[in-house]
Amino acid sequence: MSASNDGGPRGWLYERTGVDRVWDALFARKVPEAQGWVSWLYTLGSATLFVFVLQAVTGTLLAMNYVPSPDHAYDSVRYINTSVVMGHYLRGLHHWGASAMVVLVGLHMLRTYFMGAYKYPREGTWMIGVLLLVVVIGFGFTGYLLPWDQKAYWATMVGTNIAGQTPFIGPYLKKIFRGGPEMGAATMTRFYALHVLVLPAIVGALIMGHLFLVVWHGISEPPTRAADADAEKEPGR
Amino acid sequence: MAQDRPGEVSRKTFLGIVTGGIVAAIGAVVGATGLAYFASPAFKSESEDWVDIGPASAIKHGVPTKVDFTQRRRDAWDVIEQRSSAWVVTSNGADFTAFDPRCTHLGCPYRWDADKKEFLCPCHGGVFNEQGQVVAGPPPRPLDRYFVKVEKGRLLIRPLVKRAIA
Ligand code: HEM
Ligand code: FES
Repeated sequence: MSASNDGGPRGWLYERTGVDRVWDALFARKVPEAQGWVSWLYTLGSATLFVFVLQAVTGTLLAMNYVPSPDHAYDSVRYINTSVVMGHYLRGLHHWGASAMVVLVGLHMLRTYFMGAYKYPREGTWMIGVLLLVVVIGFGFTGYLLPWDQKAYWATMVGTNIAGQTPFIGPYLKKIFRGGPEMGAATMTRFYALHVLVLPAIVGALIMGHLFLVVWHGISEPPTRAADADAEKEPGR
Repeated sequence: MAQDRPGEVSRKTFLGIVTGGIVAAIGAVVGATGLAYFASPAFKSESEDWVDIGPASAIKHGVPTKVDFTQRRRDAWDVIEQRSSAWVVTSNGADFTAFDPRCTHLGCPYRWDADKKEFLCPCHGGVFNEQGQVVAGPPPRPLDRYFVKVEKGRLLIRPLVKRAIA
């Protein structure tokens, strides 16, 4: 498999970095055989990963023209829509990608749940997955405020009020989310920092851990009916 | 990797090519979009706005006059009010010249000396004549000019666009 005895520049690189072995571990690893449409369910994690990368690219570009402040946010978003080349399309990708991300994470979670993929020894993969779910929802919540239109404003009002209902610590939580007693400039900068700095750092670390465990354990076999499994164990029956 | 028999393409090789093709197509669409978005400032042209800076009759013949004006202009998503000024010169009340009020050496504001009939820069002793030509000191080129025109007795200039010296 290793091409380290290849004389060309490829061989030179492989010998010094081992990227060929990393490539093989990631893309030439064995996966269980699944039949028909069920095999498509195994792509949901990768689909989520793809949309995540798309969100990172489009989000970075949006940040080049976006201002997280109550007096400029709405106008800067309109500027992206009307005055920047491909701005409307790019913003559309980020907008729909955000929804696709939540849907795909949900479906991916359902597939790993119903196939029992969370069982021993993959509990760690599942637990990191639960954290990823929380972070993905966090991206959605903080990103929703940023256009600072009516929908954004009232959704965040409702969201932070819900946090305010938490027993005992609610009133403090609400103020922490809002960056003060009222919603306003400090809410926007706070949500923006979470959306583009804090959450990406966390999600990056979690995805690496998640994928490491996926490769480490290998993908689980599709579940079999108890009768079939028994038949396999006792071939004579 | 499984070796293909000559003249045949294995399922694995075929799927590899198809996957690579899809990746390349998506990469091209997203890449081209992102590049166009990133580079879009390159396709923006300079503002064409003419700014009214007052009645032409306010400029005395042969006496360079500093005109202060407030310019409302778009700055991307923002509309800003920018205070700036220009030195306006006319010899006959019909042909006007408007100079950028910053010295062409390092950008200091210069002033008109009515006795010497010269523009004097306080910073490093730059001197320009009424036509904006360098008389003395370190300035490397004549004073920069703005486009200027008279319409219905009002002076209009384009303060964002420098005019090449004819
Ligand atoms: C940003 C979000 C996520 C990304 C990018 C992601 C990515 C992936 C990928 C690429 C795989 C391997 C392919 C597959 O089985 O689909 C995988 C497997 C897995 N994921 Fe996720 N995932 C995410 C969220 C979650 C969530 C929310 C859960 C559940 C709470 C979860 C639980 C699992 C489990 C248990 C496996 C192992 C599946 C097996 O071995 O059969 N993941 N993930
Ligand atoms: S800036 Fe005017 S002479 Fe240097």
